[in-house]
Amino acid sequence: MSRLTRAGATRYLASRVKNEVLVSNLGQASLDLLAIADRPLNCYTFGAMGQCSSIGLGIAIGRPDVRVICLDGDGSLLMNLGSLCTIAAEAPRNYVLMVWDNEVHQTTGGQATATAKKASLVGIARGAGIEKGIEVRTQDELARAVDRVLKEDGPFIVVVKVEKGPSTAPFDQDLIGQASRFRKALAAL
Amino acid sequence: MADQSWAKHVADVLRRNGIRMFATVPDYIVGCVLDELWADPECRVVTTTREEEAVGLLSGAWLAGKRGALLMQNSGLGNCTNALASLNMASLIPVVLVVSHRGDLGEFNPAQVPMGRAATRILDALGIRWIRPTSIAELEQQADGLIKLCYVSSQPVAIVLPSELTGGKKG
Repeated sequence: MSRLTRAGATRYLASRVKNEVLVSNLGQASLDLLAIADRPLNCYTFGAMGQCSSIGLGIAIGRPDVRVICLDGDGSLLMNLGSLCTIAAEAPRNYVLMVWDNEVHQTTGGQATATAKKASLVGIARGAGIEKGIEVRTQDELARAVDRVLKEDGPFIVVVKVEKGPSTAPFDQDLIGQASRFRKALAAL
Repeated sequence: MADQSWAKHVADVLRRNGIRMFATVPDYIVGCVLDELWADPECRVVTTTREEEAVGLLSGAWLAGKRGALLMQNSGLGNCTNALASLNMASLIPVVLVVSHRGDLGEFNPAQVPMGRAATRILDALGIRWIRPTSIAELEQQADGLIKLCYVSSQPVAIVLPSELTGGKKG
């Protein structure tokens, strides 16, 4: 069975969301989301390495009426594992942490991360106190996980094992414009 | 002997400027401000494991329409410098930093001294406007204007809390 790709999983998730906020991690996750499914309710984060899950947590706490889905990477989440403890402690029901886990630091040249060896992000999240953890390897599993996170209370962590490989999408330098557009779109929701 | 009401003045200046969302990695000094905020049912205080996590969280809260303040020690300023630079400064996301100043007058712990010396220079290097009131009168004179500047410029600002104001931490 072929592995999921980050771009394919991004395309599928984007086809399922309506008024949900998507918060994408710097580098690959943001480049793919920007190219495949740009929309005002996307929050691209090109700064603050490691902080995607925390930025999404702040949005979820600030707007408990809106479901927030973070698209993090394995390297970035490994840099901010304490965030899992804070997510569990605050336990926002509208919060989903999805991780594109390709087991490498893709943006810096594909060096292996700890998930290529022993570490399980779902296992670490369980230890931190996030009880709803799902590991996804196939399209069917991804579809079932998305069904659950769109209707069931969180917090969730969904670790999606994806193929290695860099995004081919272009970078948009207008970070100020992206943040401003997102803030206005969320305020209008 | 510092006037122990300084902490309530700090909490009040934050609250009267519309800040209800707080994140913190506590220390002994900002803990006095946190006691005021924890006692206020209108305030949400999130304790994070590390200061840069708090920067991310408060930046998200700002994007969701909430003003936020980060309460930490100056040692934590070192832990969140990259997040402040690459997220808040680069994308124009405001946040109020409340930073206890260890490692300065009256310090008992040598480990605090180098970051104590570096603290305001790190803020200067980032281009973050800061105040360092040594009395409640100075705090009251400067802090409202600083917070106004935070949101009009859409950039972080810092209230640095020296031992002259807070009494510091006795060994």
